[in-house]
Parts: sequence; C-alpha cells; structure tokens
Amino acid sequence: MSQVPSVRERRTVGLLKRLRLSRAVVNVILGLVAVFWLVPTISLLVISLRPESLFGESGWWTVFTAPSQLTWGNYTTIFSQGFAAGGVLDSLTTSLEITIPVTILVALISSLAAYSLVFGSWRGRDWIFLVIVGLMVVPLQVALIPVVQLYREMGNLFGLNPYGTIPGVIIFHVAFGLPFGIFLMRNFLTGIPKDLLEAGRIEGAGEWKIFYSIVLPLALPAIASLAIFQFIWVWNDLLVALVFLGGNVHTPLTIFLYDQTRSLAANYWIVSTGAVVSIFVPLIVFFSFQRYFVRGVLAGAVK
Amino acid sequence: MSSVTLRELTKQYAGNAGLSLDSVSLDVAHGEFICLVGPSGCGKTTALRMIAGLESVTSGEIEIGDRVVNDLAPRDRDIALVFQSYALYPHMTVFGNMSFGLKIRKVPKDEIKAAVTDAARILDLEQYLDRKPAQLSGGQRQRVALGRAIVRNPAAFLMDEPLSNLDAKLRVQTRAEIARLHHRLGATMIYVTHDQVEAMTMADRIAVINLGKLEQVGSPRELYLRPANQFVAGFIGSPSMNFVPMHVESIDGGIRVVSAGGDMDVNLDDVESAMIHRAGVSDVVLGVRPEHLDHRPRSGRGLQLSASVDVIEFLGNDEHVHLSSGSHELVAIVDARTPLTIGDTLTLSASSEAIHLFHPETGVALK
Repeated sequence: MSQVPSVRERRTVGLLKRLRLSRAVVNVILGLVAVFWLVPTISLLVISLRPESLFGESGWWTVFTAPSQLTWGNYTTIFSQGFAAGGVLDSLTTSLEITIPVTILVALISSLAAYSLVFGSWRGRDWIFLVIVGLMVVPLQVALIPVVQLYREMGNLFGLNPYGTIPGVIIFHVAFGLPFGIFLMRNFLTGIPKDLLEAGRIEGAGEWKIFYSIVLPLALPAIASLAIFQFIWVWNDLLVALVFLGGNVHTPLTIFLYDQTRSLAANYWIVSTGAVVSIFVPLIVFFSFQRYFVRGVLAGAVK
Repeated sequence: MSSVTLRELTKQYAGNAGLSLDSVSLDVAHGEFICLVGPSGCGKTTALRMIAGLESVTSGEIEIGDRVVNDLAPRDRDIALVFQSYALYPHMTVFGNMSFGLKIRKVPKDEIKAAVTDAARILDLEQYLDRKPAQLSGGQRQRVALGRAIVRNPAAFLMDEPLSNLDAKLRVQTRAEIARLHHRLGATMIYVTHDQVEAMTMADRIAVINLGKLEQVGSPRELYLRPANQFVAGFIGSPSMNFVPMHVESIDGGIRVVSAGGDMDVNLDDVESAMIHRAGVSDVVLGVRPEHLDHRPRSGRGLQLSASVDVIEFLGNDEHVHLSSGSHELVAIVDARTPLTIGDTLTLSASSEAIHLFHPETGVALK
C-alpha cells in the first residue's frame, strides 16, 4: 500500500463527498416540503390556543413574538358543556360510536370473506371476487336515496327503521367499506402459503382455529392498514352522516364543525378548537396501529 | 406406530382425463421406512397427500393401523406430515411451532413441555426454542419441522421431499440424521423423493412410481440387481443404465445378440438364452450399468463392444466416460488412472451376470 491515495481511492472519496452533499440538499428540500404541509395544521392549533377576541385583530403568527397570547380558554369553554347534546364531547362520542363498530366490522367481515375466497374450495369464488372488485367503483352517492327508501320499507315491514339512527349509519358504512376491505385482504391472504394451513389441519386445527391462530396473526399488517383507512374514512365522513343523521340530536364531529361554519358569523374559535380535537383521535389510531406495519412477517415460513 | 396399507388407490383430478394415481397397492409394515420415488409429476406426492387426507380418494382404500381412513379428516388419522417447504408458523417461536398440535389436542402443559424438550434434545434444538423461524438457518428450520412431527408421536410419519431445499452438504448430513431418527423411534415412515440416492441410502424398501403406476417395490438391493422393467432399471443407479436395442441371432448351439451396426455382440449363457426362448422375441433391449463395463476385452461369455470416447468427466477416484458406439451412446465408469483422451477407441466388456434383458415393446425384464 502506498501513502499516496490511488486514483480509485480518490474517486471514491470524491463520490462520497458528493453523495453527502446531495443528501443534505435532499434533506433540506424534504424539510421545506414538510413545513409547508404542516403550516395549515399548525395555524389551526395556534388559532385554537388564542383568545377568540384576537381572531379579527392580528394574524396567528404573531404568537411567535407574543407567546403570552396562548391560553386554554377555548378548550375549557367547549369542554365545559360536558356530554350535553350538541356539545363537542357529545359529538366526539357519537363519532366514536359510529367509527369504532364500522372499523371492527369491516376488518372482521373482510378477513372472513377473504379467507373463504382464498382458501375455500367452493365453485365460483373467483367470479364472486370479480363482482366485489366491480362494486368498488360504485360511488356511494348513488346509493343514498335507495338506501333511505330501503330503510323506510324496513320500518314499514318490520317496524324497525334504521334511518336517523346510529346503526343505520354503521350499516351503510360497513356495506361501502367491504368491497375495498375484501379486495385488500384477499390480495394479502393469497401470499400466505397453503402449506401452513395444511400443516395446521394435520395437527388437528379446525377452520376457526386455523383462521385465528394462523391466518389472522399473519394478516395483521393488512388488517392494520385496512383499519386505519376505514377509521379515517368514516371519521371524516360528512355526507352519509348528514343524510342519515342530519336532524338528529346527537351528531358526529363533522356535522358539529359544519354547523359552526355555516352560520353567517362563523364561530372560528369553536371550529379551530373542535378541528384540533377531531384530529387527535385519528392520530392516536394511526400511531397505535403503526407497529403492525411489519414487513416480512412471512419470513421463515417456507424454505 | 402402525402399518399403512394402500389398496388399489386411484386419484383422478377434476377436469383431467388421465389418472394421477392408478390403482396403487402397497403394504408398509409397522416400523418400516419406505421411499416413494419417481420423476416429478409421477403421482408420488399425490399418494402421500392422500394418505395424509389432504386429497380426496377417487377409488381404493387407505388403511392406517387397522382402520380404513378414507373418510377421516387429516387430524383424525394420527399421522404427521413434514412438508417440502417445512411450513413453519412464522409468528410462533420454535417452541410454539412444536407444541401447536399438542395444545390443540389439549395435552396437559407439563406433558407438552416434556415432549418438546425431549424432541428438541434429539434434534439439537434446545438453545433455539425461543427463536422465530426467520432467525434459523435452513437446516435448523428443517429440524423444527421434524420436531413438530416427533412431539406428536404419530402412527406414521409422512415426509414430502424434506431435504430438497437444503444444500448438498447439509442434505447428506440430514439424510443420516433422519435414518438415525427412524432407527431410534422405530416409527413407520413414508418418504417421498425424486432423488434415487436418498431412497437408496435411507429406505428399507423403495416403491418406484411412474405416470401414476407402481412399477416395482423392493429393497434397494433388489431394485438395483433385479429391476422389474426398463424404467426401474434406468431410474435406480447413477449414472443410469445403458440401454441398447439388439437383434437376436441363432448360432450353432446357442444364441447371440448383436446391435444394429454390429459394434456390439453378446455371447449369452444358457440362462439368458432360455429367457429369450421363453419370451419368443427376435429383438431385445440390452441393459448394462456404467459401473459394470470393464475396460478390457471379453473373456468367456458376456458383452463386448468397441466405442470411441466423446466426453470425459473426472470425479477424482474414477471417471464417467461418455462413449459412442455406432449410433448408440453409452456411459462407462473407469478408473481415473486409465490414460484416456477424447477420440480414443476403447474395448469394453461386461460379464453375463451384469447384463439385463428387456422386452422391446413392454420394457419388462425377461425372466
């Protein structure tokens, strides 16, 4: 080895330097993009933490020079109503009452359906799957009126009209969540080697045992992403909630926020504070499901 | 542990004109190690899966112990299957994998622990019980798959090419391990492989299957020395047996068979002459194993041929020499010290005991 670096070594060093430089540039650009994306959310948070009276007087960014503006006042005001109907906590509860059952039902039914579509041996399951995929393109708006009518008919026939009730909204969301859910789960389950199920079968496991001891644990990443999608989708839904729960006493957060903006003098402090509250729940869901996004869960199964 | 009996077992897949398994009958004795061998797609794995209960039976009967299991679910057949892919549960530890079947059968916890620890000791897996399959090497995963079978102490072990995913060195090692395991457990084992070397080295008896039909069942020695037909003769032994179509000629006091070009001729002994007489054929397929071709002229009865060297494969102790004699291609194994170059003409001979004769149309060995 000579003391003088060879041409190849010098080239490598040069390349590394350039790489480091370009990586720095990329990081700066990414940082800027992130800040740019975060500005609306941050401004919302700041507005919710400033007194109502300041809203018309100065911009939210003045908080950086005068941090004394910050106050929990808005939060104490909107939470002071407690769980009374029409308050933010009541809406939060209603949103959870709709979203949690929908998420659980969609995840559960989709997994079961996908299990049958992938590992079942009944005739025509490929066709059924194609029909389900086809259903994914149906926009839910076209179903609003027919479903309202259907609910009314149910009321006439069985004396049980889901219209205007939370179960009515849940049924609607589950029905429209299933095609995508089944599609996602089926595509994931096809990656699970059949040998695993057969091994379980030989060792004495029945269909249910195989489903929840072998298939479900392996499908967790798909179930987690489906749950997040479904949760956020239903959490943010305004249209279905308006149609089915429009005149209701208990309404989800989306309707609560919408009600605050539509009057001529919009209550921006309530909107911003309520919006921050409504962001928190999906964030919690996202971070708690995040750990299931493990790549390579199937590693070591075969070969 | 118990015997396994197949009676005219037949499988036809829906939408498939041919039979995947055609009336296969086989008796596997209690404690016997039997290998099902054959080329890929011959139906050997289908047979195994039918015994396991993973495939339905089209016709025929499967008996394990002394009960017919045709309509029993896999879990009620008291068998364990080691998959080619191992099929370990990736989300469970080695202990979880090995105890899964016992837990389902509601075996008491301390018994499970004892059974798994015991199996882990036999398979040298004790320090890996807390690991997940992804953290194990191929050989270790393979042993976990074996362990999962052992802990259940089944009536019969079924193995579907369990060594095919291992590298050559590990395969030889694990082969010996499985043989030792069989000896130790005294269990009935049915082992599927396409590798005749695996079958020859491990099996008490080998069942050769081709195109869904059982060609021959016998000990490795029997199959090697007295193949029932041309397929078995060609399948068992490596490199495989040389086959040459020959014509039968009468000479004074005996029979001689000669190849088309006249490059090869055989002076048959009385036993072989009688075989050809009994079969009443005027043509015959001659078979001789590469290891039985000697590099010297014939003395007495037997085969003699001259052939030119095409390819020489040096293997250390000996060489595989590919030769052509007229329009026929042959392989011979010769001592590596023999000085040979490509293009040389060799005179090779084989004693009459080393010669196999097959019927030209049916391929059945002449008797």
